[in-house]
Amino acid sequence: MASSANSNPVPKLYKSVIEDVINEVRELFLDEGVDEQVLLELKTLWENKLLQSKAVEGFHTEEQAALQAAQQQQQQQQQQQQQQVQQVQQVQQVTQQAQTQQVILPPQQQQAPQQQVIVQDSKILQHMSATGMSAAATAATLALPTGVTPYQQLITSQGQILQVVRAPNGAQYIIQQPQQQILLQQQMQPGGVQAPVIQQVCSIRQVLAPLQGGLPQQTGVIIQPQQIVLASGNKVQGNTQVMQAAAMAAQAGQAATAQVQQVQQAQGAAAPQAQPQQQAQPQGQPQTQAQQPPMMLQVDGTGDTSSEEDEDEEEEYDEDDDEEKDKDGGEDGQVEEEPLNSGDDVSDEEDQELFDTENVVVCQYDKIHRSKNKWKFHLKDGIMNLNGRDYVFSKAIGDAEW
Amino acid sequence: MAYQLYRNTTLGNSLQESLDELIQTQQITPQLALQVLLQFDKAINTALANRVRNRVNFRGSLNTYRFCDNVWTFVLNDVEFREVTELVKVDKVKIVACDGKSRNYK
Repeated sequence: MASSANSNPVPKLYKSVIEDVINEVRELFLDEGVDEQVLLELKTLWENKLLQSKAVEGFHTEEQAALQAAQQQQQQQQQQQQQQVQQVQQVQQVTQQAQTQQVILPPQQQQAPQQQVIVQDSKILQHMSATGMSAAATAATLALPTGVTPYQQLITSQGQILQVVRAPNGAQYIIQQPQQQILLQQQMQPGGVQAPVIQQVCSIRQVLAPLQGGLPQQTGVIIQPQQIVLASGNKVQGNTQVMQAAAMAAQAGQAATAQVQQVQQAQGAAAPQAQPQQQAQPQGQPQTQAQQPPMMLQVDGTGDTSSEEDEDEEEEYDEDDDEEKDKDGGEDGQVEEEPLNSGDDVSDEEDQELFDTENVVVCQYDKIHRSKNKWKFHLKDGIMNLNGRDYVFSKAIGDAEW
Repeated sequence: MAYQLYRNTTLGNSLQESLDELIQTQQITPQLALQVLLQFDKAINTALANRVRNRVNFRGSLNTYRFCDNVWTFVLNDVEFREVTELVKVDKVKIVACDGKSRNYK
């Protein structure tokens, strides 16, 4: 680890802070009735994020090894399920052909739409397994806590699913990020039987938005071509439709690279493709799509028949905006494309350029002194992030000229 | 309450992000997350005051200064941070400093 005499105090400090916090809040967690598992998950998430930030050197190397060992054990457990995973992959590729229900959510939970559980029942955990991507990859990429590995977790009755789900009936599905699900679901549902599903599914996007922000690459990896269909499950019709849509989505998804945008494309592709096939739902689809304002409807994509009107409208709007801007620029006698009075601005661009590593020092001041334009700083108890790395100090003294 | 100053650090932000994830997945309540953050504030304040014992010097040019609500905010340019062990140079740094004299009511 530290070869120099003065070892970096930061990792130890952070470690001790984490330990202190976790131990202190353990009681709070218990008072709230939250499982210890969640506390461990918090700790793991926290440590992993610190690792990922690379702001600290040599952070938790020992624990990393322990985590990896634990993950390997889990991988071994999941190897047994990998056979099923392969089967699932094949199934996904051939979802067109009528197969058993590809129900993501167990019908049980659907009856209780408010169940949004991640690690509730041990049964669910048992049923859950990583599909598609190897469980190890999933665990690694997602840095999942040891206790709650790719038996993921975010499964709500409505399908607020983040990752991989396996229905108790043996079928395994990978749940995708919200948008796709929503489209698929809406296509599926013949009527308003599962209106609550749609609504809740819509919220997935909000749920996943921060997560996606936090794990941009990882979500991409997870999604891949494997796509999930949220099905009502109770109705056979719904299932077949789901399967068809899943097939469409799977095909479309496989063609695309694994990222959210492509997922959206798959949605777009799946939507029109599913339309002709699904006889029972010609009406629901365009309506539902139009009724999804909060869902960031994917307008582009292959053969998106229903969105032609939207595209035209958007183009018109853009043109109008451009024309207006040009007019305003011309009237003021300034360069057309420059924002008005841009020459008067104090240059803030420098701030933006360095936005990547905004070197920040958070601390407390003992004394700030100024003489003419000579400033002296007496600071203490500070944490610095300079050039991407973290430093700490108990005292800092500085000089600057204004 | 201890200063919430340290929440916008690598350590603090990673904690907040982790808590947000747990909230999104409904494993904890926002109220509980807030309690955790308050506990973090205490822990980091204590740790910095007691467990860190090093000193840093720095020199640069002052670009802006602000004193509002007893909080100093500086932006310095071309700064060198010097510790016994190493030297770090940055083009721009922002320093946010809360009052260290008044023992905030813990």
